[in-house]
Amino acid sequence: MKTHKGRILFICIIATVFAVAICVQFIRIQNMDVAQQILEDSKAYQGVTRLVYPNRGNIYDAKGRLLAGNETTYEVGLDLNAILKSQRTTVAKAVSDVLGMDYDQVLAYTEITPGNGNPFYIQLDGFVSPEKIMQFEALVKEYKEMKVGRNEIRPRLNGLMWTPHNKRSYPEGTTGSNVLGFYKYLDRTQGMGYFGVEETYNNLLAGTPQMVYTAFDPQKLSMLDEIPPGADLELTFNREIQAMAEQELDDAIEWSGAKGGSILIYNPKNGEIIAMANTPRLDPNEYWNYAELFPNPEPFNPTISKTYEPGSVFKAITVAIALDSGAVDLDTVYSDDGSYEIGGVTIRNWDFGAYGDVDMTDCMRWSLNTCLAWMAEEIGPDNFYAYLKAFGFDRNTGIDLGGETHWPLKLPGASNWYPIDLATNAFGQGISVTPIQMAMTVGAIANEGKMYVPHIVKAVIIDGKRYEVEPVLAGTPISAETASKVTDMLTETLMDESYEKANIHGYTFAGKTGTGQIPTEYGYTNPLTNASFVGWGPSEDPQVLVYVWMQEPTLDIWGSQIAAPVFSRIVEKLVVLMDIPPDNIRLSNQAPDQVMNIGE
Amino acid sequence: MSTINTPPAYKQAPWRRQLQIIGAFMLVLVIVATIAGLYLSISGRAAAAGRRIQQLEMRAKTLNLEINDLRTHLALISSSISLNDRIDSLNMQTLDPHSAIYLEVPGYSPDLRKEIDRAPEPEAPKAILLPEYTRSLWDWLREKIWTINPNPLQNTNEVLP
Repeated sequence: MKTHKGRILFICIIATVFAVAICVQFIRIQNMDVAQQILEDSKAYQGVTRLVYPNRGNIYDAKGRLLAGNETTYEVGLDLNAILKSQRTTVAKAVSDVLGMDYDQVLAYTEITPGNGNPFYIQLDGFVSPEKIMQFEALVKEYKEMKVGRNEIRPRLNGLMWTPHNKRSYPEGTTGSNVLGFYKYLDRTQGMGYFGVEETYNNLLAGTPQMVYTAFDPQKLSMLDEIPPGADLELTFNREIQAMAEQELDDAIEWSGAKGGSILIYNPKNGEIIAMANTPRLDPNEYWNYAELFPNPEPFNPTISKTYEPGSVFKAITVAIALDSGAVDLDTVYSDDGSYEIGGVTIRNWDFGAYGDVDMTDCMRWSLNTCLAWMAEEIGPDNFYAYLKAFGFDRNTGIDLGGETHWPLKLPGASNWYPIDLATNAFGQGISVTPIQMAMTVGAIANEGKMYVPHIVKAVIIDGKRYEVEPVLAGTPISAETASKVTDMLTETLMDESYEKANIHGYTFAGKTGTGQIPTEYGYTNPLTNASFVGWGPSEDPQVLVYVWMQEPTLDIWGSQIAAPVFSRIVEKLVVLMDIPPDNIRLSNQAPDQVMNIGE
Repeated sequence: MSTINTPPAYKQAPWRRQLQIIGAFMLVLVIVATIAGLYLSISGRAAAAGRRIQQLEMRAKTLNLEINDLRTHLALISSSISLNDRIDSLNMQTLDPHSAIYLEVPGYSPDLRKEIDRAPEPEAPKAILLPEYTRSLWDWLREKIWTINPNPLQNTNEVLP
């Protein structure tokens, strides 16, 4: 009995020692350096961590119509582990037939043995249309339903994979493309927006990529991965007005023989861009044509990036400064003998004519260079340039579009400034501006002296919540009284016979033509000009400002002959699209506040 | 007073003792098997739910792609280019602005804007696994005890006379 107990005790001790040894070995293995490495490596088999890019935000116009969105496209590739040896030719033929790829090349891909430095997956095409995927699906179905004999092998497309993903799409094609910019969607990981809204708001549109861990063990999955998409943008831009402006611009370029042009439709009350038409225009769906369409240094959006000497449209600014500073009044008389000498240089009128005694309205009506040169001297250089700075001619407007530029303003005291500059600047020569600068500054005249920063984004929509973009006041360079005087003056001049081509049937607008000479390295020797027109209205309560710039028209050089009729045609359509009633309804005592237009 | 250890007057029959041991063992076995079965059942359902999550994720992604695609397709067929083509094919002409007349229409506002049509974004990721799959038996038991309602009538929606 004693011996028996001893044996049992011995076995128990041995078993205990063995168990303890196993435990010690467990602990030892788990604390070895290599164990930590194994533990780390094992995580790769427990799940997968991916960097997930959110859906890029949509861009809508002011009426909620989609301007930039996403559409489905497919990546097609080969999972080399899944391709059956017997089906290599089937896969190669299907890919060759549907995608038009070289059969031998695809067959060579299918024959690659995965691992040992070879890839497991080969991407054949990153952007395959849903129609082509339907062809693959039809083949799969056909093979599945195919009747095969006992010794025959059923064809299969195992290993051929297609995965859907988003592709940037611009449903309106070229319409408004200079404002929208484009997104380089072919680069699926590093893609970003270029130019326009796509560039300026790239971070908001793109959202925040997030690392997402997906466990292979279904028990460890408890949450749906929600990656918030990028913010949506609602623009101030109106698609129909934009399309109309672009059509008018294209027509005008054709009949005037102009090199190019820009049309800007702007709300002076809050700085909203309603339309911005330019040439040339890129289809952002095919952005790779950019370099061909915009050879260096052609800007993508001339309205904000191209400066030019505006000519007489600038006189609206000069007369506003003269009236606001008290240098002249509406009934001040200037005696015009056809020339005005300043700094040893003689200024002459556009037609070399002498107009005798004229008041300020007549100065603007007949666009007298001599009168404006005299006016600038009356204002004085310090005062004149202080006003130009207050109007913002020495800086960018701050519009929320990428690529804005401005011409540095020459100021008295600078080595490149001469007394003659005061006179020429007064009628828009020797000073360069962008159309957006002109629209913003003339907007002060149209809006009781208040000048708003132009902007294109009306609201940002993040996680279903809409955040309105508030208008930003850029300054009040002139008083409301001055603004009203200038508007009245330029309304009166636009009624003159010489501005017949700018008239709008049934509406009263204020406006000014401009014919800017183009400087060369030898002076103003270029026979071509920049023809412009700026107009705003309806005069008693301006709701819209239209700026037209035609570059180097060959049919005629004058703004009154080229830009003015374009302005008129645009405004005639604009008042219908914007529901602005004609004068006889609007100005009547019982003007309806709710109107609509119908065609006869 | 001395204590006298008196041996029991009887002894359990061996078969009865064996039966008791077997019974106790079977009881433990049944309890363990029940717990194991319960655990297996819950694990299985949790795994099935996890798999369902994976399927739903895939479905959500597909639906998101489809929504984007349909939205873009709608924009394509209602784009200014497409509309102009359709206008031409229907032999319609653009309104001559000179022929427009203005009429007051009560209730019509020219400022009416089409609201941007978009699905509301989810406020936050939502857990779709029921708590039954994540809490322990003890948690469940404790919850049940705490939520025993002493007066069931208070929770009814019946209107008492």
